[in-house]
Amino acid sequence: MSRNRVLTGSRAMVEAIAQEMRVDPTVFVMGEDVGPYGGIFSSTTGLLDEFGEERVRDTPISETAFIGAGVGAAMAGMRPIVELMFVDFFGVCMDAIYNLAAKNTYFSGGNSKVPMVLMTATGGGYSDAGQHSQTLHATFAHLPGMKVVAPSNAYDAKGLMTSAIRDDAPVLYMFHKGLQGLAWMAAPEGASTEVPEDPYAIPFGEARVVREGGDVTIVAISMTVHHALAAAEALAKDGVDAEVIDLRSLVPLDREAVLASVRKTGRLVVADEDYRSFGLTAEIIASVAETDPGLLKSAPRRVACPDIPIPYSRPMERFALPDAEKIRAAVQQTLNRAVA
Amino acid sequence: MADVRIPEGLWDADITPEGVVANWLYRDGSEVDAGETVAEIMVEKATMEITAPAAGRLAITVAKDGVVRPGTVIGRIDEQ
Repeated sequence: MSRNRVLTGSRAMVEAIAQEMRVDPTVFVMGEDVGPYGGIFSSTTGLLDEFGEERVRDTPISETAFIGAGVGAAMAGMRPIVELMFVDFFGVCMDAIYNLAAKNTYFSGGNSKVPMVLMTATGGGYSDAGQHSQTLHATFAHLPGMKVVAPSNAYDAKGLMTSAIRDDAPVLYMFHKGLQGLAWMAAPEGASTEVPEDPYAIPFGEARVVREGGDVTIVAISMTVHHALAAAEALAKDGVDAEVIDLRSLVPLDREAVLASVRKTGRLVVADEDYRSFGLTAEIIASVAETDPGLLKSAPRRVACPDIPIPYSRPMERFALPDAEKIRAAVQQTLNRAVA
Repeated sequence: MADVRIPEGLWDADITPEGVVANWLYRDGSEVDAGETVAEIMVEKATMEITAPAAGRLAITVAKDGVVRPGTVIGRIDEQ
């Protein structure tokens, strides 16, 4: 007699937000099309009906204004959840994000907190071109003062959202569109998961070993976790036993989980849908090299988007974005074997 | 035994003959409550929710990505 309830990523996010709004009157939601539309990636579906226009507020198309308002509301004692519709739109509102939200706790000597969640859609794979397909994890993780999380499945989506709302620091909650379980966008098999109905929080900075293995460590986050698992299944047929780590958050970053795995395997591939240079992939490799370069039996490999705007053309986009085959090929390189 | 049926007239089948099961929100064999949303149907990129007609054990008969029409039975609920 089991409930075995399965939620999509978007439904898991909405459940976490609704549960926190029920118990904490300072939590409210604000952004473009978060009201009757329910968020263009279904991150706020149904919230307007339950909580009304005071607490679920549609905004004009001015990210500078409403993210700035979110920072002010947070400093005044509220817990706003603000949606930046596509992370690609950060350009017009970055001052509010990295000079205000990220710094005001420090600039006030700790007298003001900024408990704001900025949730934003990332990722490509559906021909939405260069201004609607970026991932940009590192753009935010690079700048001090914000926590940055990126769930790979519905269970984590709920638990990380609950933690994000309860956290007194600004949190960038970066959800991949292709993991939302939207009817019109294919999602990988593991993106929708069983999700407990009771509220729960997943602590930041705790990576999860999603597949144990002894030959090579594949570090991934968000969508690349699913590519890494598919690569690991393909590698298993070749007799290669890959361990897959889902970082779940970039800030704080669970370097210890990576090191523990690399100590065991001696080989490292890092996969991220963000751009290749100056990114998460390099940060993970640097963390291992700084600790002890002797841990690595072979050169580590990065699998990421090349340093080009994401193409619109589907074949070109496929060429650019990480996938299971690119991860598998990178693993084969760390094993010093010819790529099949 | 109650059928989980896509309501007739949920969409205009003369314009769009078919939809697909986009998501099941319970595993096959789960216990569900009457009135709960158990599945999502996608028609022309719009999502529609299908609710359980009764409480009981869900048996899925049309899996995710299966093609459906108004009136299609996509599962059964064993009321025990």
